[in-house]
Amino acid sequence: MTDKQEKKLHGTYAEFDAVDTLLAACRRVRDAGYTKTDAFTPFPVHGIDKALGIKPTALPWIALACGLTGTTIGLTMQVWMNTIDYPYIISGKPFFSMPAFIPVSFELTILLASFGAFFGMLALNGLPKFSNPMFTNPRFDRVTDDKFFLYIDAADSRYNHGGVTKLLGDLGGAHIHDVYDDDSSVAVPKPLFVIMASVIFLSLIPLLLVARMRVTTSDSPRFHIFFDMDFSPAKGAQSASSLFADARAMRVDVPGTVAVGQLDEELDFYTGIDMDALARQDKPRAARLVRALLYPDDPEAPAATDEPAVAEGPAKPADEPAKPADEPAKPEMKEEPAPVATADPIPAPATAAAVEDTTPWLKENPLALSLEVLQRGQTQFEIYCATCHGNDGRGNGLVNRRAQRILATAWVQPSSLHQDTLYSDAYPDGKLFSTISNGIRKMGGYSSQINVRDRWAIVAYVRALQASQNASLDDVPLDRRNELTKEKAAVDRKLAEQAEADRQRAEAKAKAEADAAATEAAVVEPAK
Amino acid sequence: MSLAITQGLDNTVERPGERAPLVLGDSTYSSITESVSQIAERPPTKAWVIGFMISASLASWFGICIAYLIYTGVGVWGNMNPVFWGWPIVNFVFWVGIGHAGTLISAILYLFRQDWRTSINRAAEAMTIFAVVCAGTFPGIHVGRAWLAFWLAPYPSLNLWMWPQFRSPLLWDVFAVSTYGTVSLLFWYMGMIPDLATFRDRSRNKYRRMAYGILALGWSGSSRHWMRYEKAYALLAAFAAPLVLSVHTIVSFDFAVSQVPGWHTTIFPPYFVAGAVFSGFAMVLTLMIPARQIFSLEKLITVRHLENMCKVILATGTIVGLAYGTEFFIAWYGQVAEEKFAFINRAFGPYWWAYWIMVTCNVISPQLFWIKSNRTIPWRIVVISIFVNIGMWFERFVIVITSLSRDYLPSAWGYFSPTWVDWSMLVGSFGLFFTLFLLFCRFMPIINMAEVKSTLAGQLHHHHGDH
Repeated sequence: MTDKQEKKLHGTYAEFDAVDTLLAACRRVRDAGYTKTDAFTPFPVHGIDKALGIKPTALPWIALACGLTGTTIGLTMQVWMNTIDYPYIISGKPFFSMPAFIPVSFELTILLASFGAFFGMLALNGLPKFSNPMFTNPRFDRVTDDKFFLYIDAADSRYNHGGVTKLLGDLGGAHIHDVYDDDSSVAVPKPLFVIMASVIFLSLIPLLLVARMRVTTSDSPRFHIFFDMDFSPAKGAQSASSLFADARAMRVDVPGTVAVGQLDEELDFYTGIDMDALARQDKPRAARLVRALLYPDDPEAPAATDEPAVAEGPAKPADEPAKPADEPAKPEMKEEPAPVATADPIPAPATAAAVEDTTPWLKENPLALSLEVLQRGQTQFEIYCATCHGNDGRGNGLVNRRAQRILATAWVQPSSLHQDTLYSDAYPDGKLFSTISNGIRKMGGYSSQINVRDRWAIVAYVRALQASQNASLDDVPLDRRNELTKEKAAVDRKLAEQAEADRQRAEAKAKAEADAAATEAAVVEPAK
Repeated sequence: MSLAITQGLDNTVERPGERAPLVLGDSTYSSITESVSQIAERPPTKAWVIGFMISASLASWFGICIAYLIYTGVGVWGNMNPVFWGWPIVNFVFWVGIGHAGTLISAILYLFRQDWRTSINRAAEAMTIFAVVCAGTFPGIHVGRAWLAFWLAPYPSLNLWMWPQFRSPLLWDVFAVSTYGTVSLLFWYMGMIPDLATFRDRSRNKYRRMAYGILALGWSGSSRHWMRYEKAYALLAAFAAPLVLSVHTIVSFDFAVSQVPGWHTTIFPPYFVAGAVFSGFAMVLTLMIPARQIFSLEKLITVRHLENMCKVILATGTIVGLAYGTEFFIAWYGQVAEEKFAFINRAFGPYWWAYWIMVTCNVISPQLFWIKSNRTIPWRIVVISIFVNIGMWFERFVIVITSLSRDYLPSAWGYFSPTWVDWSMLVGSFGLFFTLFLLFCRFMPIINMAEVKSTLAGQLHHHHGDH
């Protein structure tokens, strides 16, 4: 007791078991005239503010001020950065665009208002406060569990030690306790101190290094975290390299090797030609084709120099003999890597009449026909072919229509696929495949864009398309004919209606014109 | 005191004129303290240790994959022309969505005075923060040069000499998600201060007391402190409520403000928010039901709590279903060819399986909650919730992947295939999430004791008034 007397007395508190008794006690203490009081509870007790006479807090105003600061910062930041200091020119959009600045301003409003509410609450409550004389009594630990405490401060003008102790006892408070200064050591515990000191020290090292680097100069080059991302060792296309004898950075395949996924099928599949037959008929040409397939990148591979009607090359127009001036043969093209599926481009129809095409084209599509193959062909046809040839294959796709409209002089109209010369008897599947692969006239080859299987699927689809446009009712299975007849009747009716409507419109127009002329005449008449 | 009347009571039955009790059994203030605190005070159970080892291994694997990604480059993902967003963005949107239930329960239900939130809000808020951590990781590494991610911030850069483009929804997203993460963290931490003080006061170990003491900031339970604390809590709730709605709205702007068919729709903001609440509640249930069982918290997290959450899932699941239907209707009604194609392609194109998994899990499975037994038998709730989680992941997959893989130009179409890194990161992010959640269960007060005691006090008071 004696050492306690020397310490400063802060106040006195009593312990309560239930909310109701605490509230009643609070009211009595307030009514007795005490103002410097406080209650300590494990949870917020409703009505205790009134019972103790606690005034409302200014916290909402702090939060409001912070929130408005957030809005202002958000708006001015965005306006200054995107409108004044660094305007982005994007599709002629206004530099000052309020709607686009709302989200960030909103988020900053919320962020700063939340900071205001949280840190404002801590500041008003005087937290964090790790040393509190209230905590010196171990019984007070139950304030966060299940006990309620009513405290009267010694600084209260009505405070009188004996009177307060008696009052709290009369109100039903138990374990009445006087609060004295906390006499425990104020020093930070040693292990905690060591940990904190080392963390602070270590965190200073990078800062000091940065600071030093900013004020000194250095001869060593800049540090690159990922050197190869800043300076890519990869060579650009067509660039030179000192590593190889031919000085080319782009390498060719090793002669005599076949890459994975290439040449999985028979040679016929890649050329559209019966290669055995070709070998019997024209050995050098077959050898050339095989060589082009096997060693597509071999610069030594013999190019098609001996046969003017047949030129090898990926997207080479096939009508060289017909129009030599249009696309003069470029010798360097021969050296360019040819795609795997390089095959004989077929001569243009005009040439075909002059030079008889003796190539043993595959007569039949090597793909097993199925609905899936046809649908695949249709998809690919509509992606790659229909833009020029049209979805119906009549040679009037979007590109053609556009070319007609702007009167493009260099434009060659795409062939309609529905003509006798292009049916399978005159134009075998293999030849069609070759045309798709290597191109014809203005049409470029598609071997680099469409894979072999899809090219054959397109061939299959084109045959189906041809059949669809030239079929008679007899080609339709019996059970579907009825349906078709009905449909045809409906379409005919619609067409007739349309024709009738057109006729009426034309008549009406003619009549209106006649009327107008008559009126004009009538107006002119009286003037005479 | 007749607290025993709530013993063995079915609190899912509505009795006219009476408020259903939310704290069951012969609970007292100290029994609430005891049942929550003992979780953190006793040595960890075997189930916890095994769960932690598994999830921590997955989380480490996630870390290794991130290191591998940063060291090698984003090519290790399946992201390839035309689908450059891929799984990282799918996972980002998924996790941000999960992160919505916590703040919704804490803020919006608080503002509506839904007292049943008190037992579940803490864990839901923690879940929010961990989900936002997982979510934030993905865009951070998806930018490619992750060490330059700070370029997103508007700071006076000596390298770039330029400012961010504030008219881009991607930048709004940076602000929205980081604000959301920060405010959720504040809200969660502030709510824990009184309970951390409880832990501090119960600690017998000096260092434990010191650690919780620092975290509790010297909380003493003073009525003045409580008054300001409650005011601050209400303010944060009021700020967080519009915030939670804005975050997924802005995430949906990432899509809706672009012109990709299937994304460019005005329905996205409400549809995303409903989906986020839907998935978030499902995740809360998936986590809380096992935790409730393992830590014997049936008296505090009652069947009524579970049932209420099931009802929220049912409502939001129906909204999500309606949104799916509306999207199709608008695509047809709008008569834009690409838009129509985008939706037909979703349902019947190459990703039809993902679409129908999504519809089955998100539209059909929540409808099972119309049946009362499905809402009150915990294992059934868990099963349905897991299906909802799967469905919501697929929803994001469908939105991101199908639209990007087939947009306007057919010749630029493609098919997305994930790599092992994609898979690892999806699973790894779950590992990270569960690791954080298990650590939380072990060291933090998983139930808001102060609020539950306050609910119990109200229940006691109310009971006195009747007699």
